[in-house]
Amino acid sequence: MRKSLRAIALAGMAALTPLAMLAPATQAQDNVELTMWIESTSGSDVAECVQKNGVEAFNAQGNGITVNTTLQANWWDATRTAIAGGAGPDIVGTPGPSFAMQLALAGQLAPLDDYAKALGWDERFAAGSLDLGMAEGKLYSIPTELETLVLYYNKTLFEQHGWEPPKTLDDLMTLAATIQEAGIIPFSHANAEWRPANEWYVGEMLNHSAGGPQKVYDALVGNVEWTDPDFVAAIDLLNQMQQNGWFMGGLDRYYTTTFPEAGAMFGAGEAAMDIEGTWFLADQEAYFGEEAGNSNEIGWTPMPSVSGEAIFDLGVGSTYSINNNSQHKDEAAKFLDFWFSPENQARLLVACGMVPAAVDLTGQDLTGVNPSLAEILAAMNVAFAEGNYGYTTWTFWPPASETYLIEEIERVWAGEITPEEYLAGHQEKFDAERTEGAVPPIPER
Amino acid sequence: MQQTLTLPEGTIASRKADKRRAFFRRKVVPWLFVLPILSINILVVAAPAFSSVYFSMTKWSGIGSAEWIGLANYQALLADPGFHHAFMNNVLWLAMFLTVPIGMALIAASLLAPIRRGAIVFRLSLFIPYVLPSVVSAALWRSLFSPDRGIPALLTDMGIPGFDKAFLGDSRTALPAIAFIDNWHWWGFLMVLFLASMQNIPPDLYESARLDGANRWQEFRDVTLPGIRPTIVFMILMTTIWSFLTFDYIWILTQGGPARATEVLAVLVFKEAFRNFNAGYAAAIGLTMSFFVGCVIAGFQVLRRRGWEI
Amino acid sequence: MSTTTLSRGKRREISLAPNYLVLLLLLGFALGPLMVLVFNSLKTQAEIGSNPLGPPQSFMWENFTKAWEVGNFAVTTRNSGILVAVTVAAVLALGGMAAYSLAKLDLPGAGLVTLYLLIGTSLPLQLFLVPLFFTWQRLGLVNNLLGLAIIYVATNAPFAVFLLRSYMLQLPRDFEDAARVDGAGEWQIFTGIVVPLSWPGFLTVGLVVALSVWNEFLLATVFLTDQELFTVVTSYYNFSSRFSRDWSLTSAAALMMILPVVVIFLALQRRFVEGLTQGGLKG
Repeated sequence: MRKSLRAIALAGMAALTPLAMLAPATQAQDNVELTMWIESTSGSDVAECVQKNGVEAFNAQGNGITVNTTLQANWWDATRTAIAGGAGPDIVGTPGPSFAMQLALAGQLAPLDDYAKALGWDERFAAGSLDLGMAEGKLYSIPTELETLVLYYNKTLFEQHGWEPPKTLDDLMTLAATIQEAGIIPFSHANAEWRPANEWYVGEMLNHSAGGPQKVYDALVGNVEWTDPDFVAAIDLLNQMQQNGWFMGGLDRYYTTTFPEAGAMFGAGEAAMDIEGTWFLADQEAYFGEEAGNSNEIGWTPMPSVSGEAIFDLGVGSTYSINNNSQHKDEAAKFLDFWFSPENQARLLVACGMVPAAVDLTGQDLTGVNPSLAEILAAMNVAFAEGNYGYTTWTFWPPASETYLIEEIERVWAGEITPEEYLAGHQEKFDAERTEGAVPPIPER
Repeated sequence: MQQTLTLPEGTIASRKADKRRAFFRRKVVPWLFVLPILSINILVVAAPAFSSVYFSMTKWSGIGSAEWIGLANYQALLADPGFHHAFMNNVLWLAMFLTVPIGMALIAASLLAPIRRGAIVFRLSLFIPYVLPSVVSAALWRSLFSPDRGIPALLTDMGIPGFDKAFLGDSRTALPAIAFIDNWHWWGFLMVLFLASMQNIPPDLYESARLDGANRWQEFRDVTLPGIRPTIVFMILMTTIWSFLTFDYIWILTQGGPARATEVLAVLVFKEAFRNFNAGYAAAIGLTMSFFVGCVIAGFQVLRRRGWEI
Repeated sequence: MSTTTLSRGKRREISLAPNYLVLLLLLGFALGPLMVLVFNSLKTQAEIGSNPLGPPQSFMWENFTKAWEVGNFAVTTRNSGILVAVTVAAVLALGGMAAYSLAKLDLPGAGLVTLYLLIGTSLPLQLFLVPLFFTWQRLGLVNNLLGLAIIYVATNAPFAVFLLRSYMLQLPRDFEDAARVDGAGEWQIFTGIVVPLSWPGFLTVGLVVALSVWNEFLLATVFLTDQELFTVVTSYYNFSSRFSRDWSLTSAAALMMILPVVVIFLALQRRFVEGLTQGGLKG
């Protein structure tokens, strides 16, 4: 596999003029050093694991390129400032397509179209997934960590009480009320450490409303207003859940409980359910089972929808690009080619629990992957392949509208504004950013 | 003899030289003392600050090129209810920090000043919270404020009502709760400043006050307060400036939530610049903040002209 | 010295008991939370769950060794130490000079300088981060401890200058005037008379600047992106996020970060008091 990849890469190099032109500058025996920054504060040991299993594997190839990674505590601020100041690492990571797009529009990222053609990326990535990295018709970033959200539940607790995982939002509401009556907190939701957690629930409710993801798509491309009754109903439902004290037992607890505290209560059965992303499974062992000092098991089901249909919302955890200031763009492209090889993506999934990019992992050795995660990824991939997916707010929304969704929902919960006013305000922000062309590319449905 | 003869000429020349020397000493030397630090400050602060005056009149994502839009950012700002709200939160913050920590520090410093035995222990212990970085004290107090595991849980167990809630998570109490935490870390520092200043008050002033039969309060009011006035006034000024800039504790603990309850101007600046890619608008907010502060400082300068020694 | 002794004798006449009472209460307020931090740094994670506030049953000293190693504190403490030393030295020297000029020399245009420095203080850091980085990048001062120290000198300067100035304003003019009559230059007066007399002020300012540099986060993480140059705050941040579930380890790391500062502060406190009693400030 490795051999053939290199062969492809070399063949591509010969064919590609910019690569061929730069080739003499970097003699084979000269070791080219590339820099790359990784977020060190993403929790657990993911950053170090990625460094060890991904980057070092590349360096071990001995092809005259060494990638030096640095774990940055203030990763995105540092990256953004450095790039705006004309510096920064050769390989640029961002927290999502809308961020990459801003860098691209400012001319700070190198277009990747030629590399994509030469290295066959179009065939490697699932159809349409590279569209997320486009800006003004060119490819600037490659989305990775394709994630989705599901409804996790404490399986052991559910079995003890004879509760069934809900299919529709109605089921969910009824079940949550029952759980609350049993003296258990329905949802272990909290945002003390990460205020944007708010958008997980807002996004889920919008996509799983009566209109489904289709309506969200229509609103994103501007064919439907955000004040549509389906959306109002969705936000209203979310507000009811919060007003009932279902999230962590009340608004004040929701705002002040940390993730470890919430996770511990979920694992111990003091809380029953959790609407959260695939990233949660990387940490679940700390809350369920031996390590956590209980014998409980975690279960998952697709996030319930009004229709009862299983809907998976697509999220992109991060993107990779090449710095336009880099002196070694070709070498950086080689690294990206390695990085997004099915082999490397599979290794990172197995070793670090990092969810892969939209590359085909069939035939890769996936033993050791958390079974729940494997199931979710499989189900998610089917949904994506069929084009039947929903839209997470941090992937498909322009930045200011996303911030609005995150922050102003708290005013709905505080009773300061109604769901209608909330969505009307969002419409205003969204319109403004749409006119500026700040809405990330929305793949056609 | 010769010297006496040449005296008249010499006096004229030396008078000129004296004048020049006096000019040098009175006008130039003072500037030589200020220049090194001033030039570093200008390089680091003033030059970039001027560029932000320009950027505040542009539409700029914070990276790449900016588009000139004149005063549009400032107009948007004046109409932005979020800005007004944040400004009021800053004013509230200012009110809290002009009273509580300064009061506590004055009381503690004046109680500590006459003490000899154990003075070092007190001085050290009261100051130590200031040593903690904001991340640490914020995390510490977050767990101490927990209604289920922290101090409120203890009080609830003791049967004291009103503590079964998360103060940081309630819109009505979040801002005072953060101010409480910030103050815990801050007031000891003020105390040390006041104390160092009090040590410079000549002891005979206290002697004579006591001979006049002054009690504790009169002694404090008539000797201590006037004695440390430059330090107090200076700290009031700095408190005012810092209250408009307050960011760390709020950002770590609530990021401006819940429901905008703790949103202050610096949080707005940070969000607009780093989250929303509205660096031009952020510059406008930042400069408006500086404008308010500038007004306060100008007020102080006017008082100074009027003969207040501050 | 005799007046001081006299005043001490006199003061004993007023009862100090209420003073001690109030101060002890404040002491509890200041130290209580820190005690919890120390306790928690010695517990196991499980014990924190069952006993979040009280003293530890076990003593997990290995929390500290683990924190030291994992946080790479050996490297970061050295870097922060260099930053602190350079910044404090420069701020005290250059800031002291400026303060002297403002307090004692009738600087022409003093009002303007004051206004400028104060308004400079009122600008939020986030505003000039990008332009500053741009300049520093071109000057080759990014990823350079000295480069960052220069920024710290500038951002700490206004407060240092004004605080030193307020100390110097309190100094009686007699000494300097006498020296001037004797023909001493301003530099001699500054180094020979004013600096020794405002010794406690310099110590306080040095301490404040040292702390702000030691604890600074935003500039340190943006201007230093080379692992070998990271500072203690970075260590703590990386550590606390990696072990966010382990509050006991995180507490140990926090103490690790505070400890050097406390030790220096303790050492300085002695001198601080000595400086006060030996300074000859009898008015």
